[in-house]
Amino acid sequence: MRTLPFCLIVFAGIVVAVCLSSGQAYAEQQPLELQQLLDQAKPGSRIVLPSGTYEGPITISKPLTLQAAESAGEVIVRNVSQQPAITLQADHITLTGLRIVDEAVKESASILVLGNRSVLDQLQVRTGSHGIQAKDANDGTVKRTTIEWAVDGMRMADKGNGIDLYNAHRWQMTNNTIRAVHDGIYMENSDEALVSRNVIERSRYGIHCMYTKRTVIKGNEGKLNVTGAMVMAAEQVAVTGNTFSKQSENVNSQGILLFDAHKTTVSDNKIDGNRVGLYVEQSTANQMERNQVSYNFVGIQLVEASDNTITSNQFWGNVTDAQARNSDDNTITGNYWDSFRGIDTNGDGHSELTYAINPLFQGLTRKRAAFQLFFQSPGMIFLEGLYQTERTRWTTDLSPLMKPHANLIQTEHQGDKLITGLMGLFMLSCTSLLFYKMRRPK
Amino acid sequence: MTEMRDVAAREMKIGFRNPWAYSFTALFALFMLSLLFINAQGYVTGYSGSSSTMLNLALYLLPLMALMLGSFSLTGEKEEGNWALLSTYPLGTWAFLTGKYTGLAIVLLAIVTFGFGLSGAVGSLLGGGFNFATYGQLFVFSLSLSFLFLGVALLIGTIAHNRWQALTIGVGIWFFAIIAWPSILIAALGMMPYTWIKPALTVLTFLNPAELTRLFTVVKLGGGSTLGPEYYNWMLWIRSPWGTPVFIGVLVLWIGTALTIAYRLWERERRRG
Repeated sequence: MRTLPFCLIVFAGIVVAVCLSSGQAYAEQQPLELQQLLDQAKPGSRIVLPSGTYEGPITISKPLTLQAAESAGEVIVRNVSQQPAITLQADHITLTGLRIVDEAVKESASILVLGNRSVLDQLQVRTGSHGIQAKDANDGTVKRTTIEWAVDGMRMADKGNGIDLYNAHRWQMTNNTIRAVHDGIYMENSDEALVSRNVIERSRYGIHCMYTKRTVIKGNEGKLNVTGAMVMAAEQVAVTGNTFSKQSENVNSQGILLFDAHKTTVSDNKIDGNRVGLYVEQSTANQMERNQVSYNFVGIQLVEASDNTITSNQFWGNVTDAQARNSDDNTITGNYWDSFRGIDTNGDGHSELTYAINPLFQGLTRKRAAFQLFFQSPGMIFLEGLYQTERTRWTTDLSPLMKPHANLIQTEHQGDKLITGLMGLFMLSCTSLLFYKMRRPK
Repeated sequence: MTEMRDVAAREMKIGFRNPWAYSFTALFALFMLSLLFINAQGYVTGYSGSSSTMLNLALYLLPLMALMLGSFSLTGEKEEGNWALLSTYPLGTWAFLTGKYTGLAIVLLAIVTFGFGLSGAVGSLLGGGFNFATYGQLFVFSLSLSFLFLGVALLIGTIAHNRWQALTIGVGIWFFAIIAWPSILIAALGMMPYTWIKPALTVLTFLNPAELTRLFTVVKLGGGSTLGPEYYNWMLWIRSPWGTPVFIGVLVLWIGTALTIAYRLWERERRRG
């Protein structure tokens, strides 16, 4: 009878589980039906899996902890079915240290969370769908987890999200790394989430809020996504201390985008090398302060935005500092604009001349997008200089800062500066020699 | 071939003794340096505020330089009677024109290289300096721009009878191609049906060497996404492996066409004269 040893192992497992006072179970040997082990475990028990490969899909329908043994070697849960690799149906389930390999392209997520207060810690997920999806499940935690898209050669639009929350409130997502998915962290109708210290790369939107309230997005890093943080139809969101860089490849790229966002705070972010640093459209009563907006193609772009406060930001090295259209009733003061040369007559560090943002180019390209070709061409700058009508209605910084704050960041490593210097010296000496040789003989 | 080389060598000799060449060198180097001083702590990399300013400086200065040096060189030959003398020798018009072009191109190369060499060397001493790839792209941009406008310059030199005429036409073309270009196009194309604007703009961009090189360089510097969704395919295409060879092809075609037209006109004049 081939099933006999198997039954014995399961029995041994159960015995161990029962005997240990802490409720710990050790799966001693594998290959093993993980599902069976889970079904037989007591609620509240802790199951420690030794290294090896376990086959999914599995469903956990009681509160318990499933974790990898601390020893060397990986615990891999592999799934080739169309179901989620792991489904969390009950409250209070903790998963720790597992590696989930779920490479089938499908509708259902790799980890589906349906219960409250789940904890997902130190997982490594390779997914062909959403990495982690929570539906109608509150108070979950995802930390120290890596999520990566597994299938090569797929269009961005066909990929799944890294973490996808729907009607899931008060989630905490910290210290995760997410790469090459659709949206890194997508939150819809999910309030009061904390998104902190995550790294999100090469995805569509790094962090995406839809119909959320009081989301906190803090200390994250976004690189090479289409958009770093997208806050849409949201209220009282806080976007602080994040770094968004190099979102410049796509024609719709931006560092931080606010659309239909209200009472949101965007502060102390570093927004570097994006197509548009800060893009604000149809948004009101937002506070944008102390951001460092540098080396973007457009620093800040305002479209039909009103009643926002924009202060103490620093704009430098951008191809153009600002573009604005129909956004004349915002409070804009005390920002530093490096293309602006002001005059400070009373020595308070602020210019008495105002900095007005010319709306010509924005207005022109809205009606005829083809003219975008003239972006910052010498003739266009000349034309903008000529166009000065209705200056009082332009978006204006009333008291721009004269000098930047001392803490300007210089993010680029300057390794090849020396090569350029030497090359310059070489070119200089070659031409000098040529000029000398070709001089008129005396 | 030897005729061409002789003409080129003579042109270089005249060119490097021409005080105009030295004043242009000084002007270009001075402007490059002052931009570098304004942007003292900044490291110039990719498409940014400082590289865009340098791009625009080159767009203002280099075409004007090429147009003046090139057209004056040809009209000078006419005014001083050198051409009347040269045409009695068995010297082909084509060899004469290409020799002129080559000699002047080397002079322009020296001017641009000196300006870039100085700013590259000083830049790295100042603490700012250039990213090497960006430096290279700006340098190639400046050269392409100069060579294209040199082709136009020889055409002007062919049409104009004296330096004054050459100056008038040259400055007119410079103002039209660099300063007034967007204004005129926006006004003219604004009256057209919406769907015609992009194709018309595409064709016209190929006719304006300044816009052609500027857009190529903006995309190469990584700023292609500023052109918006309308030109997404351009961006992909310029950045593909075919981008650079085809750009060089367009460059050669452009200069070749300008020289061919100049040759035809010059030959007609020669037969009449």
